[in-house]
Amino acid sequence: MSVIRIRKGHDLNILGVPEKKLQHLQRPVRLELCPLDFRGIKPKLLVREGERVNAGGAVYRDKGRPDILFTSPASGTISSIAYGERRTITGITIDLDKSDIFEDFRVSDADHSDPSSIRSLLLKSGLWPVIRQRPFSGIADPDVSPKAVFVPAMPTAPFAPDIFMQLDGKDRAFQSGLTLLARLTGSPVHLVIDEKNSSPLFTGAEDVILHRFSGPHPAGNVGIHIHHIAPIRHRDDHVWYVLPQDVARIGAFFLTGRLPVTKVMTVGGEAVEQRQYLGFMQGSLIGDILEGNPVSEPARIISGDVLTGTRRDLQKPIGFYDEVVSVIPEKTGRDFIGWLSPGMRKYSVTNLFLSRLFPSGSFSLDTGLNGSERVMIPFGNIESVLPIDIIPTWLIKMIIARDIDEMEKLGIYECDPEDFALCSFVDASKMEIVDIIRDGLDYIEKNG
Amino acid sequence: MSVLRSLLDRVEPHFSKGGRFSRFGALYEIVDTFLYTPGTVTPGAPHVRDAVDMKRSMFTVIIALLPALLFGIYNTGYQADPGAGLLQNMQTGFVAVLPLIAISYIVGGLWEVLFGIVRRHDVNEGFLVTGLLLPLTLPAGIPLWMVALGISFGVVIGKEVTGGTGYNIFNPALVARAFLFFAYPSEMSGDAVWSMADELTRATPLAVASSVSGADGVYLLKEAGYTLQQLVIGRFPGSIGETSKVAVLLGAIVLLVTRIGSWRIMTGGLLGMTAASLIANAMAPSFDNPSLYLTPVHHLLMGSFAFGLVFMATDPVSAAQTDRGRWIYGILIGSLIVMIRVLNQAFPEGVMLSILLANAFSPMIDYFVLRQNIARRQKAYARQ
Repeated sequence: MSVIRIRKGHDLNILGVPEKKLQHLQRPVRLELCPLDFRGIKPKLLVREGERVNAGGAVYRDKGRPDILFTSPASGTISSIAYGERRTITGITIDLDKSDIFEDFRVSDADHSDPSSIRSLLLKSGLWPVIRQRPFSGIADPDVSPKAVFVPAMPTAPFAPDIFMQLDGKDRAFQSGLTLLARLTGSPVHLVIDEKNSSPLFTGAEDVILHRFSGPHPAGNVGIHIHHIAPIRHRDDHVWYVLPQDVARIGAFFLTGRLPVTKVMTVGGEAVEQRQYLGFMQGSLIGDILEGNPVSEPARIISGDVLTGTRRDLQKPIGFYDEVVSVIPEKTGRDFIGWLSPGMRKYSVTNLFLSRLFPSGSFSLDTGLNGSERVMIPFGNIESVLPIDIIPTWLIKMIIARDIDEMEKLGIYECDPEDFALCSFVDASKMEIVDIIRDGLDYIEKNG
Repeated sequence: MSVLRSLLDRVEPHFSKGGRFSRFGALYEIVDTFLYTPGTVTPGAPHVRDAVDMKRSMFTVIIALLPALLFGIYNTGYQADPGAGLLQNMQTGFVAVLPLIAISYIVGGLWEVLFGIVRRHDVNEGFLVTGLLLPLTLPAGIPLWMVALGISFGVVIGKEVTGGTGYNIFNPALVARAFLFFAYPSEMSGDAVWSMADELTRATPLAVASSVSGADGVYLLKEAGYTLQQLVIGRFPGSIGETSKVAVLLGAIVLLVTRIGSWRIMTGGLLGMTAASLIANAMAPSFDNPSLYLTPVHHLLMGSFAFGLVFMATDPVSAAQTDRGRWIYGILIGSLIVMIRVLNQAFPEGVMLSILLANAFSPMIDYFVLRQNIARRQKAYARQ
């Protein structure tokens, strides 16, 4: 099998990489569900404050596509519902019972091969949202048949959990999840692994087409895989993708009939004391995840990796799709004539600092913007970290100009903000390229 | 230093929105971010950022220009009095060159700040480069008022009328030079302008090589005492920064290693120049044009080919902005330079005109590269 070699990109050499030591969190007393984790859904509540709910019991659904249910990962009582601006639901808090009562989904062997019952069981159990759809990275549309399904099994993002740690002991569930996805869609399932991966769990996987990629981040991003294997032609050209851990959850659900609610994640970053792997329950509050793990202030807590995650405080849960909690120092203070310094300790992808000449260990990276915002000067560093055949400078210009026709031609449907995170990272003009791409996608989704 | 910082912090409210001097926010920003790195933190993902910024990038170009500047200062003194010794030459050169640079920065800087204030945007670091590039392309004896006029034209017409830094079509320093070249031809070219001392006049290599029709340009150069070695070292009359190829090479290395200058443009330029001059060599016996005999090495070492290719053609804004486009753009410049030098006897030095012409074409080059990219990706879909 040939290897697709990614040359453009960059592996962030940042302090605080998690140790490969897995600990399981104690059962929390409280969980929170956050509808804002899902792009493009309008939540409609199915429960009221004070109502009881089982593990796997529906809590809310999408107004637009009422089949898509969102369920509780554990049994307990709905204790509060928080609203934000214009009465958007920002959080649903559940006080947990001492132990779980699971909703019984009555999965029978017959359900394993019939696409319509696979679909309805996934929808009913609340597992459906783990399947996402490009373009636009929303929850997969159950009424659509995708041309391909991707399972990106080679995370390259900073602090991303090791795939073997996540799937340890879940071989059967993972394989059966892959098979179920193939049956559900009837389309090819592309399993993408690292060049060096020789584990039979992947190389011997059935019902999939195996691909190997190599290279620096974002070589592990699903957007890069889609671009090289099954590029998206237009807005109705649908590709689905599921994270490997969620594939195993789908498999486990059909094997046991119970909603699997725990996942493996990492805690990383320079500003947190123990950087480790944790087994946690979906919806756990970051405060519970970091309990007994001192954070050196001032710090920024991020649900997700430092390139693509969202800022969260301790009272909020880890994002639905996130498998990393990163804690990095918040920038304080200003350096005197910083632009003139030789830069022995400054981290840069460019060769403008002495630190590039003497590579030594990992770097401390804080949240400083490290410069002022300026107009776009195309030095070519944006292009040097984007391993797809799309010309980012022009795409950005066309998004700013709101030219839908050109955006389409230049390939915006293939784009996702996460693939452009490194572009934002290296940009000397300090433009918010990620936001521009997201803005362009939102605009074209609404008006295209 | 904390005294300085607290002083800046104390006056900041007056310059920020709603303050007494909010119109002059651009001025505060220059001083503030020149002295201290901005304390801004990232608003969202990505939460960490590369240490690179525009100040650092532009400052690197200044570093790359330093060898050419220092040698230019020395050479200016040397042309005035070859027998005076290194120190004396440096001193003479310094006295002659420094005012040019100072005027260029002061007058150009005033325009920049004025536009920054009127348009309410921050002043861009790109001017640091423009302000130094222009004097380096001028003869040392040029009157100061002309420099002031030139940089004004370059900044206002070459850059600000099209929207300011980042939006300019032409390289502002070259626009300034072109303005001076056509407005004041007698001060910008000819044998008399290159030396500070009136009694010393000597033709530049390019003028020599195209001087006698029916001759061989390489032979004419040798006759006039211009050996290849001398052309490399650069102790001959010419614009301040262009003569020493060693200095330009040092600058090129800085730009290439830091990737601030595009290697594609530079390589493309060399390729285009080599191809065009080999064609010219092949045609040489049939015509009585001495310049046709010049080899690629001579073209590389004469005039401001090297300086222009390294520092002017690689201006990221006015050049082509796609990787493939940069190749085409470089090749275009390299071949145009030879064509203008060889075929148009009125302009023995074609670098400035070639680059400006290529600047005009670069949006079109990018346009075709983009169409090609779109077509290629459509083919990739079709293959699925």
